Amino acid sequence: MRRSSSGALKDEVIVNSTQTNGPEERVVVTGFGTICSWGEDVDQLWRHLCAGDPAYGPSSSLAEQAGDALSLQAHLQTHSAAEVSFDPRARFLGRNIRPVDRTGRLAIIAAENALESSRWTEELRGEHLVGLSLGTLFGSVQTISAFDRRGLEAGPKYVKPLDFANTVINAAAGQTAIWHGLRGTNSTVAGGSPAALQAIGQARDLLRAGRADAMLAGGAEELCFESFYGFQQAGHLATGEDPQALPFDARGTGLVLAEGAALLALETESRARERGIDARAVILGHGSAFDPSRGRKEPSAVRAVDRAVRSALADARVEPGEIDVVFAGSAGRPAADRAEALGLQSVFAERNGSGPVPVTAVKACLGESFGASGAFQTLALVLAIEHGQVPATRGLEQLPDDLVAPSLDFRRQLLDLRPRVGLVTSMGLDGNAVALVVGAPDRPVGAP
Amino acid sequence: MRSRRDGAARIVVTGIGLVAPVGIGRETVWSRLLEGKDGISEVESFDASRHAAQRGGEVKHFDPSPWFRRLNPELVGRATQLAICAARQAVDDAGVLDASVEPERIGVAMGTTSGEPGRVEDFDDRYLAGELDQVGGEFVGGYPCHVIAANLAEEFDFAGPNIMIPAACAAGNYAMGYALDALRDGRSDIMLAGGADAFSRITYTGFARLGAIAPEVCQPFDKNRQGMMPGEGSAVLVLERLEDAVARGSEIYAEVGGYGLSCDAHHMTAAHPEGDGAARAMRQALEHAEADAEEVSYISAHGTGTPTNDRLETKAVRQVFGSRADRVPISSIKSMIGHTMGAASAIESAVCSLAVREGRIPPTIHFEEADPECDLDCVPNEAREIPVAVAMNNAYAFGGNNASVIFRRFEG
Repeated sequence: MRRSSSGALKDEVIVNSTQTNGPEERVVVTGFGTICSWGEDVDQLWRHLCAGDPAYGPSSSLAEQAGDALSLQAHLQTHSAAEVSFDPRARFLGRNIRPVDRTGRLAIIAAENALESSRWTEELRGEHLVGLSLGTLFGSVQTISAFDRRGLEAGPKYVKPLDFANTVINAAAGQTAIWHGLRGTNSTVAGGSPAALQAIGQARDLLRAGRADAMLAGGAEELCFESFYGFQQAGHLATGEDPQALPFDARGTGLVLAEGAALLALETESRARERGIDARAVILGHGSAFDPSRGRKEPSAVRAVDRAVRSALADARVEPGEIDVVFAGSAGRPAADRAEALGLQSVFAERNGSGPVPVTAVKACLGESFGASGAFQTLALVLAIEHGQVPATRGLEQLPDDLVAPSLDFRRQLLDLRPRVGLVTSMGLDGNAVALVVGAPDRPVGAP
Repeated sequence: MRSRRDGAARIVVTGIGLVAPVGIGRETVWSRLLEGKDGISEVESFDASRHAAQRGGEVKHFDPSPWFRRLNPELVGRATQLAICAARQAVDDAGVLDASVEPERIGVAMGTTSGEPGRVEDFDDRYLAGELDQVGGEFVGGYPCHVIAANLAEEFDFAGPNIMIPAACAAGNYAMGYALDALRDGRSDIMLAGGADAFSRITYTGFARLGAIAPEVCQPFDKNRQGMMPGEGSAVLVLERLEDAVARGSEIYAEVGGYGLSCDAHHMTAAHPEGDGAARAMRQALEHAEADAEEVSYISAHGTGTPTNDRLETKAVRQVFGSRADRVPISSIKSMIGHTMGAASAIESAVCSLAVREGRIPPTIHFEEADPECDLDCVPNEAREIPVAVAMNNAYAFGGNNASVIFRRFEG
């Protein structure tokens, strides 16, 4: 049975849709899958986001993961993080998951859920080329570091070949392809928090080019002692007795780290129609820009956000006034959050009387999962389109005065609104700004 | 796929920068490759005494400082140092900084296998020495591989789209494909596309454990080949639309015809037994470039020198080229510089660009005895002069990622 929620305008969309397979064809979301500290159930993820629950808390295994609990424990100033717990033996019943590391497992689970939700069955995957574009920050720094340490401690003969295979940064994407038989284009995009948005944009373009029949696109990131400790030493982590992620808030002290994976299943509109599966959203456009000051000069950072958003809007042929909501990437680092907010101000100053655009930052609940986070933001927007609600930015109380702008409505409460077109933005730690425009499936093509 | 037939812009190579174990600089590297110079030497960058094999393709006597203007070379990792060396050459070669192109219209697409492994190796040394307290911001600030592309953009003040594609040993070709699309889609006016990897004890240890490293020399396609040779280096190419290149009077090396990508979905470190994924990537690249297999007059092989790779690559080439396979020269410069990982297919893209322009093909050196399972013309030991209308660059990676790129001789 076809889902009915996509609405009465569906037939009109199909009639209006442009030529099949080409630079103009619409690419739609036909499913999604995820795993995070709340588990794998997308409905549950949505309930928690709307309720403003934190996905993070004291982590139990940060130091244990490194295999030397007591001495490493002492190095950690905080254990607050959003940690995924699952029993690999039960979760991958009957299949040998041992050759796959934690990042790979997270990606495999999200992919399984996304394939099921988009009904790309094993049989169909044998007949069609389903590909994968995966965002990441580190690959698995735990795998790489542990491999190196074993070679140094025990000697090079005692490292495991299987571990070496996982030290390459595209290992999770490769393992996921092998696990699920994904023979389409396989790509990994590195870049931290904006990486999944770049991966989704890349997948959109590859589909339009006919390089795959469907693409899973998003990202995965693991939590481990090595990266957690590194971020602590770099001064990026939220501090205090009970560290909180406070996007846009003057009280923000830094990041709360998270792990997880999220993937959207994408295909061209014509293929979705052929398969009789409903579109749940449309990837309308993407854009990116770089700040050569890498956040050190605010005007340069703001310009990068502004340019990335304008480039995505131009790609989507959408005016700033048509954007109904922004799912921002802000995560609680005040300077970066400011740059993103000021960049949005600069774009949405041109709303031409459309009223302020609601802005929300789901990392207040989810924490920062780097390679995966852009996919979580995009998934949240797709769910907002489906459920007709926009979650608040959890904990937002003290918006700095200079971020207050008539064009932006930083949400402190849940909003009943069914976005027709939404924007996802992210600014990386190293100057990369990326934006994605996502539309409701029943928004008529070329509609103002 | 948008190709020339659909009115997509023609994309050309207007600048090349190279740093490899045989030397530094485009002309130096190219002439030494044509001479058949072996760039393999004893490993010096770390203590390799516990390994059976102890040779590799290191870039010796490399001083990064002359290539840097803005960043401090001592504060970035070696992969970035190599990448900026190559990028500076390419930018100067193409006259990018004099081209009155807005920095916001200049983008960067880079590939790598390991990013900046030196940073994680330092972390591990401190971990094992009980000196974790000395870990500072340089670990998470300098280790994530995307810093290579970010460092390039910062060094040159390029503010256009910036992407890092860590598709392992096929990453350079992925970057070429990404740059081609970014230019055709009008996302930028100039793209720097390339790859970089630094010599690393992690990579060396891994390949040694797989028993994949040749003890003395790398002998692709030879019957007695004993393995690959880890290496390091970087290549960066400047790509732009033909009309822009002509308008500013740039020298044109080659036209980027098209690219193909595929995934084996078979095994992390072993290729598909029939070379199916590799063949799909080659076919897709030919289709995208609107090139016929009959037109291809040079193939830059992945050609790592491992017994399996070269055998399967031969099968895949035969699958795609049929009887034409007997008449297409296919050489592996890895015989001279080793396997430079994420830089490899970028360096080989530079080689293909030079080969189509000059009508010269670098050899596969150390070729002694023919292998009936690798019965292609591997340009043994001596460079060859032959008109090259179309060159194909093949690359295969861990994770089963395959990428092929087509370069055409530019004829106006």
